[in-house]
Amino acid sequence: MRNEIELEAIIEDYLNGKLTADEQKAFEQLRNNDPIVDHKVVAHKVFLESMKQYADILVLKEQMDAAHNQIDVAAISATVRPHSSKIVRIWRNNKSAIAVAASFLILAMVMLYSIQNQTKQDGSFEALNREVSQIKRSQNNLIRNINTKVQNTTITPAKFGGSGFAISSNGYILTNYHVIKDADSIYVQNSKGSSFKAKRFYTDPVNDIAILKINDNSFDHLGSLPYSIKKAGAGIGEIVYTLGYPKDDVVLGDGYISSKTGLNGDTLAYQVAIPVNPGNSGGPLLDNAGNIVGVINGKENKTDGAAFAVKSRYIVEAVNSIPQDSLSKRIPYGKRSLLQGLKRNKQVEKMQDYVFMIKVY
Amino acid sequence: MSIKLSSSVPTDREVVLGILNNSEEALNKLYIGYYPMILQFILNNNGGEDDAKDVYQETIIVLYNKIKGGNFELSSKLKTYLYSVSRRIWLKKLTQQSKKTNNIADFEDVLIVDEDIEHHEQKDMQFDKMKVALESLGEPCKTIIEDFYIHSLSMHDICEKFGYTNTDNAKTQKYKCLQRLKKLFFQS
Repeated sequence: MRNEIELEAIIEDYLNGKLTADEQKAFEQLRNNDPIVDHKVVAHKVFLESMKQYADILVLKEQMDAAHNQIDVAAISATVRPHSSKIVRIWRNNKSAIAVAASFLILAMVMLYSIQNQTKQDGSFEALNREVSQIKRSQNNLIRNINTKVQNTTITPAKFGGSGFAISSNGYILTNYHVIKDADSIYVQNSKGSSFKAKRFYTDPVNDIAILKINDNSFDHLGSLPYSIKKAGAGIGEIVYTLGYPKDDVVLGDGYISSKTGLNGDTLAYQVAIPVNPGNSGGPLLDNAGNIVGVINGKENKTDGAAFAVKSRYIVEAVNSIPQDSLSKRIPYGKRSLLQGLKRNKQVEKMQDYVFMIKVY
Repeated sequence: MSIKLSSSVPTDREVVLGILNNSEEALNKLYIGYYPMILQFILNNNGGEDDAKDVYQETIIVLYNKIKGGNFELSSKLKTYLYSVSRRIWLKKLTQQSKKTNNIADFEDVLIVDEDIEHHEQKDMQFDKMKVALESLGEPCKTIIEDFYIHSLSMHDICEKFGYTNTDNAKTQKYKCLQRLKKLFFQS
């Protein structure tokens, strides 16, 4: 019994590393020689470890209990326990989900906002449309304005009003009605700068066409007209040019027929994409072959490159309404023009003697 | 509750070092810091305040053993780890009580901690075995053993405390108690 107790004490000291080096050596020898002792050592080791674990956890639990006592459990559980209100409970249980949902919502709102912005653009576009229609209305007025301007020029002395071209060699000039509408007196000036007094001979306010007759002794007969009138209509895309007097010298404008109807679907006129200015009114519109397809009579002020020209058909009507025997070497209809096949500069060279500036007072 | 949490939570490193150094202060901070989170979880999942305490303490023990075992690596936030362990323990308890365990209301991310829990359960069994063995040891043996092995009293102190005439008597008594305890512990 005594020995047993001693052995137990030694084993414990051995396991706790409390033996001296010599004692340890001796004990290990004993352990190696005696399986019973060895077994006791192993068993005791397991036991001691378990006991240590037990002790550790016990201490830990004591500490935790002490810590637990510092906590106001009731207060915390009041805030975290399932709320009687279902909404709060849902909020607590699904915080992250709600956060995700909220961010989606915000995203959606941002998208909605941008879409709204886009619809705003649509709105302004509509407004633009309205503006366009306003423009159209104002353009209508504008043509009238141009007309009034011309009227004004009739009041202001020595202000040219437009252009015109010869329809016969003996001094019959075709121009726009609006150019000479309110004129007290009319002069035509050729490309060389000579002015001749003229009087109105025929007017067609509906088609905006007027025919003047030069009444001046200094006027020499012109040669045969190099151009002819094209009776058939011109197609969209047909290359055309015009000569006119937006300034004191003749100016060439080049473009194409862009529409078979004029302002607001006016079937009397073409829409022509051609640069024209005040003063071009009454100028001839010719195709590449030197055929007159129309008379420039106005333009849309607020749209780029949209001018209008009276169709040649109405020129023919106007010319036909003049007693034919008064016209010498009148403008030919539908015949091959003398300009056909010539280059543009040559055509202009031949043409310019037959295109006049109309000056109204 | 997250406000309360963040106000008093120690850093993860602080906790690990504190436990390795047996710092009672660190343990205190840890315990108080994360308790509301677990309490919330248990209360919202068919549990009461006492359940929360049990589960939470068990969770801390798991963490404690893991840190002390030296194989603790912070692969996640400590908070997540504690939550996951508590959750696993509570789910097991719920299953044992055959309460419904679907539809668990979660408040945090969850890690898979089954290995740690299994390891813990083995240790817990040892603990219970020791506890049972000590309980059935009876007085004065239980107190003598506890004083010697847990409270680390010397044989001399024990001799005085229990009024033994000399240390040898005390040693003999302790030896007898120890033999019985070992028997109980290893047999159970």
